[in-house]
Amino acid sequence: MFEYLELAIDSAVNSGAKYSDARILISKSRNIAAKNGEVENYNESEKIGIGIRALVGSSWGFYSTYDLSKSSLTNAGIKAFQIAKASAMVSGDDLPFADVPVVEDSYTTPHDENPFSVSSTDQVDLLLRATEQMKKLGSSRASGRLDFWDTEKWFASSQGHKIYQNIIESGGGISSLAVGDGETQIRSYPQSFGEYRTGGWEVIKGFEFEKHTERLSEESQRLLVAPQCPEGTMDLILEGSQLALQIHESVGHAIELDRILGWEAAYAGTSHLELKKLNKHKYGSELMNIVADATLPGALATFKYDDEGTPAQRVDIVKEGIWTGVLSGRDSAAVAGVKPGGMVRADGFGRLPMVRMTNVGLLPGTSSLDEIIQSTENGVYMETNRSWSIDDLRLNFQFGCEVGWLVKNGKIIDMVKNPTYTGITPLFWGNMDMLAGEEEWVFWGTPNCGKGQPSQVGHTGHPASPARFKETRVGVRG
Amino acid sequence: MKIWDDLLDEVKKNLPDEIECELKFMHSKSALTRFANSQIHQNVDEESAEIYLTIHKDSKTTTISNNLTAIKDVGEFVNKALVSLEDSPIDKGWSGLPDKSNSYEGFKDIEESTPDDRAKVVKEFIEEGKSMNAAGYCSTYINNYFVWNSNGLKSCDSSSSAFIDGIFRTDTSAGSSHRGGQTLASLEGTAAGFEAAKLATDSQNPVDIDPGNYEVVLGHEAVSTILVFLEVYGFNAKSKIDGMSPIIIGEQQFDEKISLVDTPEDQDSIGFKIDASGSKKLNLDIVNNGVPKSYFHTRRTANELGMKNTFHELFGWGENFGGIGTNVKLLNGDKSFEDMISDVKKGIYINEFWYCRVLDPITQVVTGLNRNGSFLVENGRITKPVGRLRFTQSFISALANGNVNSVGKHSRYSDSEFGEGILSVPQLHLKKFNFTGGVSG
Repeated sequence: MFEYLELAIDSAVNSGAKYSDARILISKSRNIAAKNGEVENYNESEKIGIGIRALVGSSWGFYSTYDLSKSSLTNAGIKAFQIAKASAMVSGDDLPFADVPVVEDSYTTPHDENPFSVSSTDQVDLLLRATEQMKKLGSSRASGRLDFWDTEKWFASSQGHKIYQNIIESGGGISSLAVGDGETQIRSYPQSFGEYRTGGWEVIKGFEFEKHTERLSEESQRLLVAPQCPEGTMDLILEGSQLALQIHESVGHAIELDRILGWEAAYAGTSHLELKKLNKHKYGSELMNIVADATLPGALATFKYDDEGTPAQRVDIVKEGIWTGVLSGRDSAAVAGVKPGGMVRADGFGRLPMVRMTNVGLLPGTSSLDEIIQSTENGVYMETNRSWSIDDLRLNFQFGCEVGWLVKNGKIIDMVKNPTYTGITPLFWGNMDMLAGEEEWVFWGTPNCGKGQPSQVGHTGHPASPARFKETRVGVRG
Repeated sequence: MKIWDDLLDEVKKNLPDEIECELKFMHSKSALTRFANSQIHQNVDEESAEIYLTIHKDSKTTTISNNLTAIKDVGEFVNKALVSLEDSPIDKGWSGLPDKSNSYEGFKDIEESTPDDRAKVVKEFIEEGKSMNAAGYCSTYINNYFVWNSNGLKSCDSSSSAFIDGIFRTDTSAGSSHRGGQTLASLEGTAAGFEAAKLATDSQNPVDIDPGNYEVVLGHEAVSTILVFLEVYGFNAKSKIDGMSPIIIGEQQFDEKISLVDTPEDQDSIGFKIDASGSKKLNLDIVNNGVPKSYFHTRRTANELGMKNTFHELFGWGENFGGIGTNVKLLNGDKSFEDMISDVKKGIYINEFWYCRVLDPITQVVTGLNRNGSFLVENGRITKPVGRLRFTQSFISALANGNVNSVGKHSRYSDSEFGEGILSVPQLHLKKFNFTGGVSG
């Protein structure tokens, strides 16, 4: 494949590009969805193609095609150059581009059992059993899904990179929906929309869906008759997967350097963070230590090189509550004067690589969920995300969860429904006063992060353990 | 198109006689020029060719999809589907294949625009607010779609679309606008730029106001977002099957000023005249004077609910998504924007919503925020720009009987939370809208 890449890259450089790189991908996916003991959707897909980008002056030109013939590859390089050059009508200063080590290397996601080698019948049956069981137990709609991706990626650059990576990702989940009089309630496992990791079929086996069907069905139905989450200001305890999404939305996106630089202003938005406040801005309490780590074994956003040939790495983002780092690529890092973080990835061969969260996680504390609950006089413990919304500066947020548990004098006393909470990012994180430890630290994965135009879906990771946030507004309703 | 003809011939050669089969082929050319900090910084162009093969036999169904390059041998591709079919469970929801009478021929060659053409539209937009920071995109799409099935259907269609969407920013404000059409030449880059620049200029130094219930005038994008939520979670027949739709056919759920139609047959509609099954789409009443008339159906949802298919299957989504209208129009009223504002005693004008999410689909309670131009309106006049507000509001109640004061008389294609080119809407004046938080949370 590397000779194909070189053909396209040479064509772009010979046309006049300052720099060019290209990726050929063979992307396989298997998606299975089941409902009430029957298959709702089964699809296997394979796509092959090349994406080439060329840097000319202040702009990237990017061209992608499924056609890997020699004439098409030469044309792809010329087109990438021409597209970039057309930007001259509305151009700016030349875009700087940071150097990274030029390497020839390969990497495959460690895994026990490739999910595409496992019988699809076994995979389908797993979902049929789980959803049938929940339906029998009274769920109005019992659903489940499994998704597998096997991506082979060859990357080369005009600087001499030659990198092959084979990334294998597996995930899925089950949920029970209960429909009542003018309302619906849902419970999901391992988290809403499923849990995703790098790895093979062993990831799914580890979820043990069958041990959770009864609980999900029972809780979703009990929620219909549960009291509403109280309205007011009180202590909020978040379960790990909800905290993972809180990190994703209020930290992960805010620290993306392309947003901070205004490159995503029209669509995804910008950030409340300003580069001049790096190493000074107080993001949260001293318990808050966030790292972006693309090297965590098994986490969803783990790889060896990003889509610009920069090595995967661990970067401190928040240290003891102080903002210390950003998510960057080779262009944005050069503009901002920081080291490239290896955080640029694309959604397939047909998309321009862009800054993407890696595994942006909250390092564990020393407490435990039990201790947190025992030390809470008046609060709500919320589990599993149901809705999420945050402004384009990543400041003003409101989340809804599937279930809440009222905590009084150190004990869970009641289930409450429709739990929501709202806050302002630095104030909220500043109120984090208890954080569970390594035993409850889970590498939560988010497979559906939308960003960019044309739209791209990113796979991101968010290690987290349960935590408590003092004096939070809960129970917001329409 | 030769690629399609060759592929179809090969698939037919390799198919066993007794099998039901549906072959779909989508060939697309899309391009997008992106600008930020008032300069073009990303410029992309893509050509794709995707094939979906669905086969059904002995009550079992399977679908496999590849892009053209991943099909090295059509015989192997078909054989992979046959093997997959053997492993598949019984498909109780199979609803058959549309027949020959549903066929449609609309393929045509459409000329591509160039990156220079797009840059020109971007330049027109940016020049309307030279002192401000501009960001956005200009995009073009050409899609050719081909469907064949073993029940005699053979359909094809072509479509093109183009969009300009952007914002201007100052230190304390932003304003946005959007235009869509079938061709790049039809876009009014200057008009969109002017609107966005004016909103950004006028909304500088916003004041904070207390949350609560306010009268609102909603801009095109805000209206579009309300309707797209109702489409996806309400009028989508799959939501009805799942028990999550709040829509009740035949009941006066909305204000009588609300009439919603799907108009694939209209000349100005964007997109294909056929749905993913290859069947010709027909204009459809969705809400008539506040009364819901139809859900959006696919073959399977129509079969399961015992209703008539409306042909709203989406390409590439399988049965995961259900039926969605892609040519939806909210019918115009008779009020100009100025008249709507002059009717407001104390309220807020909101240009655009942001990051809206459903709290419970069946109540359609949604939370989200305003952005890119919001103003306090007092005694019939816009008096001052307002800052960030969070709403938590049922979109059903927002359009309920008695809550719609007036409907605007000018429509345009508007962006929405779930995409562009699918909704053409006027502005709306609503009696009450619930804001639950301000800048301080």
